[in-house]
Amino acid sequence: MIRFFILFLVLLGVLFGLELTPPVQQWFVVPWTNALAHVSAGLVTLFDPGVEAAGKVLRSTGNGFAVSIEAGCNGVEATLVLLAAMLAFPASWPRKLLGLAAGIVAVQGLNIVRVISLFYLGQWNRDVFEWAHLYVWQALIMLDVLIVWLLWVRTLPRGDEPPLPPGAAAAASA
Amino acid sequence: MVRGATRIARPRRLSAFILSVVAWLPLTFAVWYFAAPIILWPAAMLIEGVARAGFSDLVGTIDQAGATLTFTTTLRPGTGAGGGFISVDVNLLLYSFGMPLLAALILAARETTWKRHLVVGYLVLTPFIAWGGLADFLKNVAITAGPAVASQTNFSAAQREAIAFAFQFGSLILPAIVPAIVWVLMHRRFLERLRNDAAARA
Repeated sequence: MIRFFILFLVLLGVLFGLELTPPVQQWFVVPWTNALAHVSAGLVTLFDPGVEAAGKVLRSTGNGFAVSIEAGCNGVEATLVLLAAMLAFPASWPRKLLGLAAGIVAVQGLNIVRVISLFYLGQWNRDVFEWAHLYVWQALIMLDVLIVWLLWVRTLPRGDEPPLPPGAAAAASA
Repeated sequence: MVRGATRIARPRRLSAFILSVVAWLPLTFAVWYFAAPIILWPAAMLIEGVARAGFSDLVGTIDQAGATLTFTTTLRPGTGAGGGFISVDVNLLLYSFGMPLLAALILAARETTWKRHLVVGYLVLTPFIAWGGLADFLKNVAITAGPAVASQTNFSAAQREAIAFAFQFGSLILPAIVPAIVWVLMHRRFLERLRNDAAARA
């Protein structure tokens, strides 16, 4: 378990450091964030035609309210955490890749819900928007990552996971 | 004691656990928000201690009002002698939203040692909240405030890069990931029960 956590933290630090570099920002983060805004706008226009996306901004054509998807709200960091957790955990590569594919869909899917919900919360009440934006959704996204990781770990065959300490194993098998 | 051991060994469904976490979150968020001045006081003290030890030439006074720390610096807004001193407000709630998440995870797991877990979790999270708050202050004076103020801090380019990274890591990664790591480390037996449940139903 200790080996897993050390590897996880090292991977997370490296991935996050890479994310902050200008080339990764230019070629991955910015296009990803723009795509997120367009996908969100595409989904919203299914029931609200007065919405458009421009770059990383989601805007109401009716009242002019707009949200800009910034770092921390594009789901990239949450995805990096999941990526590091799955890569660091002892499992076969096919299982890692399958878990990552499903996990990224789950994390980004909830992140789209976050963006759309904040877009409407902001038009309704600015205080509620700030609360949801700065605190609640941050926690919910990380809870999503944790749940996805737990679900994935449960699918792994016995013997892939790191051994529990003797006391824990005894209690678990009692 | 025997009853506690029996309860630990019982398999636990992940779906029930998730629902329980979601049910606890409104309460833990409310307690965290309204008790923030008290809950965050140790982090504020830690920030003040580190700031006075490491950046005494930048910091004049540090005052806590609710969850906000106000740093009154020794820095001037411009190069002239007048104009007073720069002050920086730091909202510690931004770096502590993991506390209600961790509390909800601990309470939902229903371990017999939940009280100890809450205390340990709180103690472990506090330094990371202090990291975020201090990095926020340093980012403000070394980068955001502009060249006229940043030049008075005497930080080198490499130090400003380190401050930027510390702030980004302390605001985007640590507040969310530390509670998850702490919870996993404290609930390895619980995780085993979740796996037992999955194996039993497979």
